[in-house]
Amino acid sequence: MTDTRQFGDLATQLILESRRSTLADTLLKYNDNLVRSVIREQRDLEKLTEGAEEVSPALLIYQTAIIRNKRCLLAYHKHRMDRLRDMYWAAGGALPHILSSQDIRSKLSPHEVDFLRQYSSSVMDYRAEFSNELDITASITHPPKDLHVLVRVVRDCGVIQTELGSIDFQKGQRFMVRRADIEHLIVQGYLEEV
Amino acid sequence: MDTDDPDFFSRLARGDGNTFEDLLRNAPRDDDGNPAQPRDVPFYVEEEPETPLQQLIRRWVNERHSPDVLPTEEDLLSRLLDHIRSQSETVQLLRSDPSSSEEEHFRIMFVQTEVERVKFIVRSYLRTRLFKIEKHARYIMTNPDVQQRLSQSEVDHARRFARLTDQHFYNTVLQSLPESQQTLDDRILFVPSMITEPDKTRAVFVRARQNCPPVRLPDGTALEMQKGHISLTPYWVVEELVARGEVELV
Repeated sequence: MTDTRQFGDLATQLILESRRSTLADTLLKYNDNLVRSVIREQRDLEKLTEGAEEVSPALLIYQTAIIRNKRCLLAYHKHRMDRLRDMYWAAGGALPHILSSQDIRSKLSPHEVDFLRQYSSSVMDYRAEFSNELDITASITHPPKDLHVLVRVVRDCGVIQTELGSIDFQKGQRFMVRRADIEHLIVQGYLEEV
Repeated sequence: MDTDDPDFFSRLARGDGNTFEDLLRNAPRDDDGNPAQPRDVPFYVEEEPETPLQQLIRRWVNERHSPDVLPTEEDLLSRLLDHIRSQSETVQLLRSDPSSSEEEHFRIMFVQTEVERVKFIVRSYLRTRLFKIEKHARYIMTNPDVQQRLSQSEVDHARRFARLTDQHFYNTVLQSLPESQQTLDDRILFVPSMITEPDKTRAVFVRARQNCPPVRLPDGTALEMQKGHISLTPYWVVEELVARGEVELV
């Protein structure tokens, strides 16, 4: 391996990371170092273009590299934002549930936590419009076939109000409950359909 | 309460008499099983006006297939939501009434199940719109024509989301770059635009709900669709027809 490096190599690594994240369907850790390195390269490139009197082939190369790096940086962050939004909806809009998970939290940059918080508050504003009739953050992957569902408790989740009165869900127990009452608990992984 | 009373379900419903039983009875049959049978067979007479639920289902399917956000259906939606609410209240009332019989409870279950299914469609419809709105948020905010097609709360969400993404880009990337590189609306030759626009060239299947006026195809010829005709075209060709409800996407 040689140590010669072209402009844009680092940005390509960023894009590769996004690709890998898509293919493996996981959120990778925010690569702060790589992002910083690309930004440093951008500043260096900017210095090279400064003071140029006429349009030379070299200038054109620098300019192209600048444009490309910038798009790669934005694409990397956009891709992560999309993944965060997917994660948010998959958890049924339960933001505390996402943020309390150490595993996920360690992969996010502070800005991304901010993003999730603000995104969540915007969605909640939108949801409030329909709160009398239905919960738009509930699952839309499978249309409901039955009113009731048999569930097994995977993790303790305390006392929940259902139409049968309040039920204390403890690990290992099974219940026949109305789907609408506990749908969010299935989504968040407390209960499991049997 | 008399369970043999034929008006049982119409009493469950307030408003325009579209009980869920009616909706059930009029719902289009699930024809996945026999694709050979064309939809416009002679005995399938579409004289009766569509029920609100059928309208919503059609809009939902259209929305799911179209690359662009379609006009909002606030009237239809609020009528259905009102209906859902009143049905749920009636069900609550009947359930808590100790004098309701076994058979009534059985019927209540049907109503409840149907309510849940309608809710599912409403939810999926709204979420489909939201997905497209977020995807094209910056395009929507620069384009008042598109905003006309959204409800007020959807426009609000689009505005907040567009601002949020800009803010995030600025915090993570742009503020560290040299000043000349901080714009988010570069227009560079041979590089895709920074503002994502709906891809109207995407191919869609359309079915004519009535005889349609001719539309111009990309190769210059005209396509005139008879009722029941199914065609595969780029979305922009049939955009107008979809908006007027003359065709539906399938």
